[in-house]
Amino acid sequence: MDIAVQINGLTKVYNGKVKALDGVNLTVEAGESFALLGPNGAGKTTLMRILTTQIKPTSGEAYVFGLNVVHEGSKVRELISYVPQEMSVWTDISGYENLLVYAKIFDIPHHEREKLIYEALENMGLINVKDDLVRTYSGGMIRRLEIACAMLIKPRIMFLDEPTIGLDPAARKAVWERLNVFKREYGVTIFFNTHYMDEADLYADDIAIISQGKIVARGTSEGLKHSLGGELITFTVENLPINAEVLGEIRKLHFVKDISVNDTNISMLVYNAEDSLSYIMDILRNEKMSVNKVSISKPTLDDVFLKYAGMRFEEKGRISDVVHTRRMIKKG
Amino acid sequence: MLKAVKNMLVMIELEMRRLWHDRTEIYSRAIQPILWMTIYGPVMGSARAIPTGGVPYTDFITPGVMIQTTTFVSILYGLTMVWERDSGILKKLLVTPAPRYSVVVGRSMASGVRAIFQALIILPIAFVIGVSFVPNPAYFLLALIVIFFASGGFAAASILIASFMKTRERFMGIGQAITMPLFFASNALYPLQIMPSILREFSAYNPLSYVVDAVRGLLITGSLSNLLIDLIAIAIFDIIMFILASVSLRRIIE
Repeated sequence: MDIAVQINGLTKVYNGKVKALDGVNLTVEAGESFALLGPNGAGKTTLMRILTTQIKPTSGEAYVFGLNVVHEGSKVRELISYVPQEMSVWTDISGYENLLVYAKIFDIPHHEREKLIYEALENMGLINVKDDLVRTYSGGMIRRLEIACAMLIKPRIMFLDEPTIGLDPAARKAVWERLNVFKREYGVTIFFNTHYMDEADLYADDIAIISQGKIVARGTSEGLKHSLGGELITFTVENLPINAEVLGEIRKLHFVKDISVNDTNISMLVYNAEDSLSYIMDILRNEKMSVNKVSISKPTLDDVFLKYAGMRFEEKGRISDVVHTRRMIKKG
Repeated sequence: MLKAVKNMLVMIELEMRRLWHDRTEIYSRAIQPILWMTIYGPVMGSARAIPTGGVPYTDFITPGVMIQTTTFVSILYGLTMVWERDSGILKKLLVTPAPRYSVVVGRSMASGVRAIFQALIILPIAFVIGVSFVPNPAYFLLALIVIFFASGGFAAASILIASFMKTRERFMGIGQAITMPLFFASNALYPLQIMPSILREFSAYNPLSYVVDAVRGLLITGSLSNLLIDLIAIAIFDIIMFILASVSLRRIIE
């Protein structure tokens, strides 16, 4: 597997005092969809701006497809495309014209230009509005147009900074469906920043959690959640007292990590709740125990964040999030 | 290098497309110079207080008030860069393979396009009012080229200033505070000879004076004795501003 992004001991200090990145080490494989998840102010945007050669790190090194982002910036810029968090299209010209201007900036040969622009418009579902001024577009359409601009050059890697901020769930879903098609068809690596946990959960093959300038956890969504210890199944049973032999039998199952009884509730910690449920139900039925209620509780990425960053995601995020979203809307 | 030139042309094309979609600014900005030419010009001219070398006073000030307008348009153009920084456009442009200085120079020259269209609105009106022009298409063309390059320099100057300003509102005030002194301390409304000596000294460093002098020579008086010096002065101004603005871009993006 190719390495798309390699980061060693990266730090960034603004104005000699604000430490935005604090020794980041990270490897992202090519062809995957990678989420950098963290609350606002965690350093996500700073990291992305260094990787896209906009700003220089204070110390440490970063490579994009083996190219040093500081010393080989212009080569890096030929491989990547980038969608910043803020709106990045001209609103006083049409969607088609935006793509045309970018196609020319990227120096796409004249005879391919038209074809690629129409392909990008088609992919992003904007073909019907291509000649309308962008200022008449909805937020979701503007985001799709920005991603269309980023798709024009068929980059090796796409950097998306908060790709669905301010979008409603339907628009978010539409954006991601198109991105996934693009990823599948062209093998593009997608590196995105997000503070939406469900977005990382649903759309990332691989996640790194960043908090206060440090990567605190790394893995797939499943892996991170399982690292918390597993999923909890609770059975509420009718027949009392609960047979100790049953408990012993369940405890023997290899996927059951722990079991406890509290009044009429039997709780057990398993690796995967869905897979384990039918086995355990069978055992309980064989012992003629009737189950009234089953509840499953799975750890969320929020729990993961709590464990590794030592705080709730929401606590830190909320106020700055509201302020930020308002600002986006005002600009929008 | 070829890439940089191409990129500059794209920036100019972009500006023409924006202009095509919304032309109201060009029309509304033409009002001020028209007032100078129709009211201030005849009134001051009838007083015959200002030596213009035999040219009617309204004709004398026509290049000056036109260039004041195009300069103001260019200075406000730096504002666009501040706005593009607030939005993500500038960030995205910097992540393209285009050389960074070509973004600055290209955006600056794009303001020259606006300036030319502005001039093309004002000049016919001046003609209708009765201003008599030198009937030479080559002079006319050269005058437009002078306006184009001078506007690029002023736009680069405003990008430089914008790099120190953190908000749009602050910049708006600064824009006025720069154009008006440049305008009054130039030969736009009166010849340099009648200025107090301190002002005359300052005017020697005022790029606007050279622009007005060149355009007045080409369009109104037909005297080209100073043209070479004017062109050199404008070229030096442009180059310095392009370099400073390109360097200041770092401050805008950080």
